[in-house]
Amino acid sequence: MPAERLLTVAPSPAFWAAGALYVVASVGLLAGFLRGRPQWSQRARWFAVAAFAAHGLDIGWRGVEGVHPAASVREALGLIAWIIAGGYLAASVKNRLDLAGAVLTPIVAVVLGAARLSPAGQPQADLTLLGRIHISLATIGVAVFGLASAMAAIYLLAERNLKRKRFDALSFKAPGASLEALDAMSQRLVWAGFPLFTVAMILGMIWVDQRGSSMLRPEYTAAIVTWITYAVLLAARAGLGWRGRRAAWLSVAGFVAALTVLAIYVMRRWVGA
Amino acid sequence: MTAELFVVGLSWRTAPVAIREHLAFADDELVPVLADLRRAGGVAEAMLVSTCNRVEVYGAAAPGEAAYAVTEVRRALVARRAPVPSAVTAALYDHAGPDAIRHVFRVAAALDSLVLGEAQILGQLKEAHARAAAAGTSGPILTRALERAWGAAKRVRTETAIARGAANVSSVAVELAARVFGDLRGKRVLVVGAGKMSTLAARHLHTAGVAELVVTNRSPQRAEALAAELGAVARPWAELDGLLSSADVVVSSTGAREPILTAARMKQVARARRWRPMVIVDIAVPRDAEPAIGKLDGVYLFDIDDLERVVAANLEERGKAAEAAGRIVAVEVGQFEQWLRVQKVVPTILALRDHFSRIAEVEADKLVSALGKKGLSGADRDAAVRRSLELVVAKLLHHPQMALKGDAADALASAIRQLFPLQTVEDRPSDADDLLARRRSG
Repeated sequence: MPAERLLTVAPSPAFWAAGALYVVASVGLLAGFLRGRPQWSQRARWFAVAAFAAHGLDIGWRGVEGVHPAASVREALGLIAWIIAGGYLAASVKNRLDLAGAVLTPIVAVVLGAARLSPAGQPQADLTLLGRIHISLATIGVAVFGLASAMAAIYLLAERNLKRKRFDALSFKAPGASLEALDAMSQRLVWAGFPLFTVAMILGMIWVDQRGSSMLRPEYTAAIVTWITYAVLLAARAGLGWRGRRAAWLSVAGFVAALTVLAIYVMRRWVGA
Repeated sequence: MTAELFVVGLSWRTAPVAIREHLAFADDELVPVLADLRRAGGVAEAMLVSTCNRVEVYGAAAPGEAAYAVTEVRRALVARRAPVPSAVTAALYDHAGPDAIRHVFRVAAALDSLVLGEAQILGQLKEAHARAAAAGTSGPILTRALERAWGAAKRVRTETAIARGAANVSSVAVELAARVFGDLRGKRVLVVGAGKMSTLAARHLHTAGVAELVVTNRSPQRAEALAAELGAVARPWAELDGLLSSADVVVSSTGAREPILTAARMKQVARARRWRPMVIVDIAVPRDAEPAIGKLDGVYLFDIDDLERVVAANLEERGKAAEAAGRIVAVEVGQFEQWLRVQKVVPTILALRDHFSRIAEVEADKLVSALGKKGLSGADRDAAVRRSLELVVAKLLHHPQMALKGDAADALASAIRQLFPLQTVEDRPSDADDLLARRRSG
């Protein structure tokens, strides 16, 4: 792919539409949650649906123009945002996830905006097919983990409010999923993300080996920490019957590690290392 | 002019129970009372709502007689219970016209209820209306008003938070359990102790569709009795630990002086159930559960104060929703008033149409027979049709023209300008007769 490609493919009209719709949806979901107006949240959710569709169009259009969603960290962040938006919308079909919407939609809007509007930097010079598959799987895996830990974080908040009997808390007043539903969703998402992330890890190691570069970069360590955290979480759930709070904390910790990996990659991009 | 709605009655807002009970009517009294009300002067339609929180007559008065009907109904209502303390008469309020409509709609939407947004009033109104309909005292106005009021109530319930959250202590257990488990179908409920409160709470849980309801009590007889009442299973007290391990929701209200659900016991239980979440609702005073067990992983403990705080928080939310609900009701009341206004002119519209049709019919018959004559040329036919139509117009305009020359000329003229899309032809009044004459001849 020519170097200027990444820089010259301007955001499509669909991107701007998606951005605007995400912002409208975020404002609606936040206001609906904070002001205790569930009907606002419900209307705002349709804006999120439209934003998700427009965002998908944009990703597809960029693909046609030759910018692969996993071509760079920048593109990958956009894809992560898209998967999180889609995951939230899918999960909110069955459950009232007003709080999740109020948290996730603004995050999606910010991640998408920051990723796409930041300078592209230099394209990856030696992006092989293996590398692309690695980046794709890792991206999807991290997005799914992100959703899982968002559910876990909401679980922790709602659980704490219930334990402390804070009946005037917003998480108590707004219609939301039950603790069991949040726990189950989080667990299912970790189960879905883990195989993807595992394959991505293996391919990543092979790719690093092919390029003959060092295995000792900090992002690799962080990736291994991520993998181990989620492996422990799944084992503890299956073997020790871990659930609820403990499982939720592990899930959040795993995602923090995953974010560290992403952050290091993005920083490398910026400093050009 | 047609009927006007009115309301006469008293409620918890104006009268304490000591006053309300004087006017409360039992079911078997309703038919004679309704007959009394219907006979009262000026009353066209009437229904009676008698619940523990209100006794109210909703009625439609004959045209222009709302004030008379209100006085008569006040008298008839009290006459049944004569002699009544003067406080009863003093507690009676009445509304007529738009105020009465608003009142009925607010009552239906449970905005006038002691517990805002409570669900019973709607059923009570439906029942009261059905009884009035059966007794033949309800009519089209009341029926329409109540149907619209139910529509408004439904909107209020779905579009606002007025009915959200449990509003009484015994149903809060369901709400709290739902916070943890979501759907309660498939969950197991254990009732420890056979007190009145736990019975009520268990009944609410049962309605929520739990899979299994188990009752245990120190005295097996009480357990058996309660189990039979609830459609539950009674188990011996000795099995308590095992029962706790398999229950998802525990409702406890024993009369024990010492805690039953001790920290040590519940630690064992929590481990045995591998920290699967469990909701413990302790309604007993003194408490059955040691507060420390609320700290155990997966154990959610609520005592009677917590339940009351949830109810208070819910009621506060309902109060906040009342404003939005009031706006919805106002819109719906407006629509009903519009319908009522239209009802007033419906007879006029029908009569006018009838009047026009008759003129048209007479002329049409004449025209048909005129055209049936033999040997008419095309020009003759044209002339006959034109003449006939002009005659129709002249007949239609005859009375209005006479009236316009009468005393109320100005008012009628402006009314006609509103009714028809008229263009001003001439602005000189002196020429008007000329103009009419010319039009007629030419």
